[in-house]
Amino acid sequence: MSKKNMKLKRTSKNTPLKKTEARLAYRFIFPTALIVFGLVIFPAVYSIWISFHDVGLKNLNDVYHAPYIGFENYKNVINDFSFKFQDWKNAGAIVTSVVYSLFSTIFTVLLGLIAALLLNRPFKGRGLARSVFLFPYVAPVVSVAFVWRWILDPRQSGVVNDLLMRLNLINTPQAYLSTRGVALLLVILFEAWRYFPFAMLMILARLQAIDDMLYEAAEVDGASGWQKFLYITLPELRYVLGSSFLLRLIWTFNKFDDIFLLTGGGYGTKVLPILTYEFSFKTLNFGKGAAAAMILLVIVAIFMILYSRITSKNED
Amino acid sequence: MKSDKKKNFIDHLAGWISWRRFIFSIVMIFFMVGILFPFYWMISSSFKSFAEIGGREPAYFPEQLRLEGYQELFDPENVYYRDFGQNIVNSIKVSVPTALITVIFSTLGAYAITRLQFKGKNLFLNSILLIYLFPGVLLIIPLFAMLSRLGGMFGFEVQDNLPVLIATYLAQTLPVALYMLTNYFKTIPTEIEQAGLIDGCTHTDVLLKITLPLSIPAIVSVFIYSFMIAWNEFLYAFIFLNSRTQFTIPIAINTIFNDPSPRLNVVMAASTIMTIPVLILYLALQKYIERGIVAGGVKG
Repeated sequence: MSKKNMKLKRTSKNTPLKKTEARLAYRFIFPTALIVFGLVIFPAVYSIWISFHDVGLKNLNDVYHAPYIGFENYKNVINDFSFKFQDWKNAGAIVTSVVYSLFSTIFTVLLGLIAALLLNRPFKGRGLARSVFLFPYVAPVVSVAFVWRWILDPRQSGVVNDLLMRLNLINTPQAYLSTRGVALLLVILFEAWRYFPFAMLMILARLQAIDDMLYEAAEVDGASGWQKFLYITLPELRYVLGSSFLLRLIWTFNKFDDIFLLTGGGYGTKVLPILTYEFSFKTLNFGKGAAAAMILLVIVAIFMILYSRITSKNED
Repeated sequence: MKSDKKKNFIDHLAGWISWRRFIFSIVMIFFMVGILFPFYWMISSSFKSFAEIGGREPAYFPEQLRLEGYQELFDPENVYYRDFGQNIVNSIKVSVPTALITVIFSTLGAYAITRLQFKGKNLFLNSILLIYLFPGVLLIIPLFAMLSRLGGMFGFEVQDNLPVLIATYLAQTLPVALYMLTNYFKTIPTEIEQAGLIDGCTHTDVLLKITLPLSIPAIVSVFIYSFMIAWNEFLYAFIFLNSRTQFTIPIAINTIFNDPSPRLNVVMAASTIMTIPVLILYLALQKYIERGIVAGGVKG
């Protein structure tokens, strides 16, 4: 924008100037918009298209001419044994996904709440404790997943096996991550271990914003610590608990790496993102993979609507 | 401690211990051990010899710090690990440009959103926010198909192409970065900028000479955050990289861990090398990173 234009701006607010400003703004947001449109929005729409076509390795380079097959991919996904619920031993990806993300998120928020309450009171070394509490969240998922696998190693040299055998709780080493049920529980606990710091930070920020007057007034009225928690702290935390719960629920539902690295999606831990990956890159049926991803997206969209409702309520 | 003070100390201790403090300490120890043990185990295992790590029982305290795992990892003769040096270089080659480009693009974008008027601002902001919540796995298939076609048209390979990977990472880092910087720019008083504009500076001048210097802390945290996302990323690298010489560290570690008989001291050495820089960066810039997590609910 030239000097002359700037001078004009001070004196009048005519449209050409606004246009210049808008033009500059478009130039500034163009790179971001291009990447977001080209690498997220367009592919997402394209994915809908793929899910209605027969796309495999054979025509991956010429997807445009892939034959239209209607809802065939969706039918194939829904009737797939690894997708649908049969019984609790073969729960299928959809039920596994729901159980996994729901319980992980509950544990994540619960641990986050406890950790936030711990760090909200003054004590020596609080700053250090706060730093340490964030380690699981910032460390690379690959390294923490593999350390946990090594700790849970099926041989006697695994830490968990060694400790449980010393305590005489088990007689022989167990393969925890390859036992149905146990494996699912462990990936849930791993999620909680890794993501509680996120919930902790959100809750802690809110805790520190609570007006001390409320507590002082309650003390004057003779409220106990537990009553103060129940009638002041919890109501004040309601929105942050709700929004961090839904945010984490959405991200956990979308999560691929954590389970993939821990169990490879085996032993009753096959969630929807892993199934999507397997349809696409193992059986090389991209249409079916895209259909599975669309089903995933529909469920996530429901969570998203809930989330936007909670956050917009919070802003009022 | 002197004997006359000893009683005082015990009295003091007895006075200090209350149920509240007892529960607090127990819970604190539970958290500390639960968080730190895996990191201790990763680092200590990396300094064990193969015999020590493959023993019948775990060695909780390594006898001495042995560098066997690290030596093996960087042994140029070893077919399995010899590319690890190159893998580190690849990770840097991906993470640093991702972080740099994210900073540049998101600064421009955040300035436009907070300081300039234009149509479609809200639409733009909302679609950016939506991406936050998007499943990464959904985008792989169309991206793969799309980029293969584009690659066919413009003559580039989709697989084993680090710039392609950087582009996909930008799609993940930009929404977060834009959100963080927009929030930050809103807190900067605009008086100085307006004075600058009245003095005849262009918006670009104002951005470079006034807004940018005032936002160094936010820009540093955006840089570190994007760096960490790219450094830690697994899924896209796993799909888009095929040959060992092009792997980033996460994929390299995944490959050597999934060996039929993995040498765990080597795996842990590689994990340590990957984790330590991230933890140091985090500790050095903790304040900014935490602010970012809270402000943007940064994706993870």
